[in-house]
Amino acid sequence: MRDNDAYIRQTIVRIIVAVVFVVLLIRVAKMQFFNDEYTTYAENLVRIEQTIYPPRGDIFDRNGEYLVQSRECYDLMVTYNDLEVEGFDTMLVCELVGIEKESLTRALNKIKKDTYRRMRPDVVASYVSKESKLRFDELNIPGFSLVGRTVRWYPHHIAGNLLGYIGAASATTIKNDPYYTMHDYVGVSGLEASWEDTLRGEKGVRVMVKDSRTVIQGAYMDGQYDRAAVAGKSITTTIDFRLQAFAEELLKDKVGAVVAIEPSTGEILVMASSPTFNPDDLVGNDRSRNIAKLDNDILRPQFNRAIKSKYPPGSTFKLVQGLIGLQEGVLQPSYSYPCHNGYGAAHKPACHSHASPLALQDAVAQSCNAYFCYVFSNILTNKKYSSIREAYNAWREAVLSFGFGQKLGVDMYGEETGNIPAASVYDKKHKNRWGPSHIISLSIGQGETLCTPLQMANLAAIIANRGYYYIPHVVKSIDGEASIDEKYREPHYVNVEARHFEPIIEGMWRSVNVEGAGTSRVAYLPGWDVCGKTGTAENPAGQDHSTFLSFAPMNNPKIAVSVYIEHGRWGSESAAPIASLIEELYLTDTIKRPALVQKVKNLKIDYSKSRNYRPKDTKKAKKK
Amino acid sequence: MTSNNSNNISFFGGVDRIAVLLYALLVFVGFMNIFSASYDADLPFFAFQQEFMKQLMWMGVSLVAAVVILLLDSRLYHMYAYYIYIGALLMLLLPFTPIGREVNGARAWIGLGSISLQPAEFAKIATTLAVARLMSAYSFSIKSLQGLINVGVILFIPFAIIVLQNDMGSGLVMSSFLLVLYREGLNKWICIPLVMVIVLFVCSFLYTPLFLVVILFWTFVLCSAMMTRQWQLCVRFGALVCLFAVLLYSVSFLWLDGVLEGYTSLLIAIGIGFIVAVVYAWRKNIASLFLMLVLFLGSMLFVPTADKIFSSMQPHQQQRMLSFLGLQPDHSHVVMSKTAIGSGGFFGKGYMEGTLIKNNYVSEHHTDFIFCTVSEEWGFLGVLVVMGLLCAFIYRIIHIGERQQEPFGRIYCYGLASVLLFHVLVNIGMTTGLMPVIGIPLPFLSYGGSSLLAFTIFVAVALRLDASPQKISAYH
Repeated sequence: MRDNDAYIRQTIVRIIVAVVFVVLLIRVAKMQFFNDEYTTYAENLVRIEQTIYPPRGDIFDRNGEYLVQSRECYDLMVTYNDLEVEGFDTMLVCELVGIEKESLTRALNKIKKDTYRRMRPDVVASYVSKESKLRFDELNIPGFSLVGRTVRWYPHHIAGNLLGYIGAASATTIKNDPYYTMHDYVGVSGLEASWEDTLRGEKGVRVMVKDSRTVIQGAYMDGQYDRAAVAGKSITTTIDFRLQAFAEELLKDKVGAVVAIEPSTGEILVMASSPTFNPDDLVGNDRSRNIAKLDNDILRPQFNRAIKSKYPPGSTFKLVQGLIGLQEGVLQPSYSYPCHNGYGAAHKPACHSHASPLALQDAVAQSCNAYFCYVFSNILTNKKYSSIREAYNAWREAVLSFGFGQKLGVDMYGEETGNIPAASVYDKKHKNRWGPSHIISLSIGQGETLCTPLQMANLAAIIANRGYYYIPHVVKSIDGEASIDEKYREPHYVNVEARHFEPIIEGMWRSVNVEGAGTSRVAYLPGWDVCGKTGTAENPAGQDHSTFLSFAPMNNPKIAVSVYIEHGRWGSESAAPIASLIEELYLTDTIKRPALVQKVKNLKIDYSKSRNYRPKDTKKAKKK
Repeated sequence: MTSNNSNNISFFGGVDRIAVLLYALLVFVGFMNIFSASYDADLPFFAFQQEFMKQLMWMGVSLVAAVVILLLDSRLYHMYAYYIYIGALLMLLLPFTPIGREVNGARAWIGLGSISLQPAEFAKIATTLAVARLMSAYSFSIKSLQGLINVGVILFIPFAIIVLQNDMGSGLVMSSFLLVLYREGLNKWICIPLVMVIVLFVCSFLYTPLFLVVILFWTFVLCSAMMTRQWQLCVRFGALVCLFAVLLYSVSFLWLDGVLEGYTSLLIAIGIGFIVAVVYAWRKNIASLFLMLVLFLGSMLFVPTADKIFSSMQPHQQQRMLSFLGLQPDHSHVVMSKTAIGSGGFFGKGYMEGTLIKNNYVSEHHTDFIFCTVSEEWGFLGVLVVMGLLCAFIYRIIHIGERQQEPFGRIYCYGLASVLLFHVLVNIGMTTGLMPVIGIPLPFLSYGGSSLLAFTIFVAVALRLDASPQKISAYH
């Protein structure tokens, strides 16, 4: 009995031992086989992905000159715990890196407070040059290291609006495009934004193992999940950097835009907008201060007027009027109309004093308002059409074929359409009862007519080409391969036959080349047969806008230019000299009229009187 | 099954070879994992700062100690059991002297130069010897109240000192002797309430005292009934006490503006019932009922004090306790430990390839949490091997104990087996989140000189007793 009891008891003890082990084994098995959570969690815990940023693609001008260069620069990193206990030569470090002592001490004190930050490298200064890095490496100060990355560098400090700039990806960008993450840089404006996908390349990734204090320990799984970065592609633009720089120089202290196009290809040689900014200001330690400064400027330097501004074309639009009149058969070059300081009995729109009557060529050269009012009126009352409305629609269609009133399709974001109103606009405005007299200001590029400087330059190119254009574009080739879109290589024909261009061109030629025959004499370049057309656009904001549209030489044109100067008064006063100087530089590679350059530079326009640039409510702005 | 009956044992001839083999395998596996968990590539391979080098040194010390013990006369352990016990108690007090050291909030260590020792590890051996000596005496009866109280005192003194050292884990090891007592014939109806007390201690953080007291009360009533075979009487007694409590509460609620809460009225009823039961047991002279009442009184005092004990714990202990009970989100310690184990899978990540271990996500990964290293790097296969070895070893010790002709050897072996089982249960339980994190090592595998040396001595004494051909009773 006693032995039996002992046997039972020792058996039960053995069972208890077995139960304990089975319970523990089941527990471990459950965790190891039936739960992926632990494996996933363990991986996430240990893995850390380091992004490898590819160098962003460079941007060249048409001759291979750097417009934007990706340059190596360095971030100064500090691992606080590795610093020498007895301290280091703060002054030396600051001097090498080019920062102030206070900012370094402030950064170090911030790191000092955080136990985790102390253990790993932290950025204390950015934009350290390569030269500094080399000197720094020689000194080999413990705790400091320099980590390379690329920044944008602009050798000529030009074309801020055209090139645009890059900035940290915004929350919306990150949300909309899974490619981007925090601290990524993305093109914000200009070519940087428009060609983001080409320029940025592909980020690479390095999967590393981190320990419990987030200190990197080495490659994860021998780097089998790593992905190399693909460098961004370089872009060769159609821009001529000399012209661009010169245009910007001439536009200084004026508000406006210059666009120059090579008519035979549609390549944009110059796309200048003023005021502009030095793209270098948006790189480096003063970046945010400079951006704020640009944002607060009421002249809006970040606004690319060349493609975004909607201006009344003024007299330059008369060229379109004349061409359509010829095409519609309501105008012959020999037709002449009287002008007595204006159109019709009311002398409205008014005109300046000139000989009267004038034939087409002289009307173009003299920019006679009345003449083109007659032309437009004749177009609208053309017996071919059953109604004025119908005639207007035909006219509008012809104007649209010149690329007006719609986006031309330039290879940049943010292009404006301009405005050539549809008939319905007038139906509404004049309650379906309207005639030529209601819309007569359209004839001279006023009223509702609005177009961008790019569209005006394109008009110059169309006339130079005698009736067709290539969509203006900025990108010539990518990574040296002329792989641009097919649409930039096929001509777009306007609804006017080539033969009708000759009298207009002759008028433009006379305007420049015949003393006393026209308004554009200032644009005369001996031996280059410059053709031009001035424009003086009335506007409600203040002084007239000055505009000039030109191409040269007359035969086999090489360049078409449009210049638009806000409140620059007569077309011949400010716009024409600028266009002429750009043509001179492009065609002859030299400037033989330094006096004119000086005159343009000295031309100061007071924008404080313009309604557009007057701060409307300063109190409100302050509150904000 | 004693292998050697000759009086002149050839050197170690009688030592159980299977136990030695299992022991050697466990220590070897332990060393391998300690090496993986603690190898520091920044230090020279043979530098003494390397933890595995220290472990290697302790393995050497343990080997010497084991050989010395096997050379000594087995009678010594029986003879000097109480002296060893008293010596161990004095040693337990050493951490309170200036040579004591505090590690992780527990003042459980003594420092001798660069060496740290944890007396609690050695106290287990001494306590086992003392318990074995006491219970193997002819005069001892497991059925007598006096005998049980004596055992209780022997266990309680080291427990109390270790708890004072703030090392609850090592203290709780003493509760594993319940298994020894059971094997030696302790009435199972006493074992059940004792287990209940331990469970309730844990549960006291989860449930209201009222609920706990009711459960405790009925457990004791029913266990008394099973023991005395007086079912009707016990159940009636219990029902009367409850009825009285309800009555008290109703009266107070209806006419005395609720002076007495439910809990208080129950306590008063139980108090009166207790006095009645004591008088009854006295009059009828029922020892077992007395024993029950003593235990009940003890555990009743325990329930309300659990809260006080908790508030007297170190913050990190409280945190661990709460996280075990699911009252607060898992302690990051346990989350990391579970992740390391769970991510091991069937085959593990490979030796020295444990990502969490190697990158310090699991703290104490070579000491108390060595099981994480095993599981992460060797996977379920490694766990099977380690647990298989431990299980086989414990079975072997029980087997050795059962073949002893003398109760002293048997009780000692059971003591060893129980302590080992407790360590395995609590250690693997805590790493897998089944148990609260109370820092006790995994025998033979965890890094730590005291632990390895103490367990080696523990085992060596058992093997020495087993190898001895003499009958201890002859010297009585």
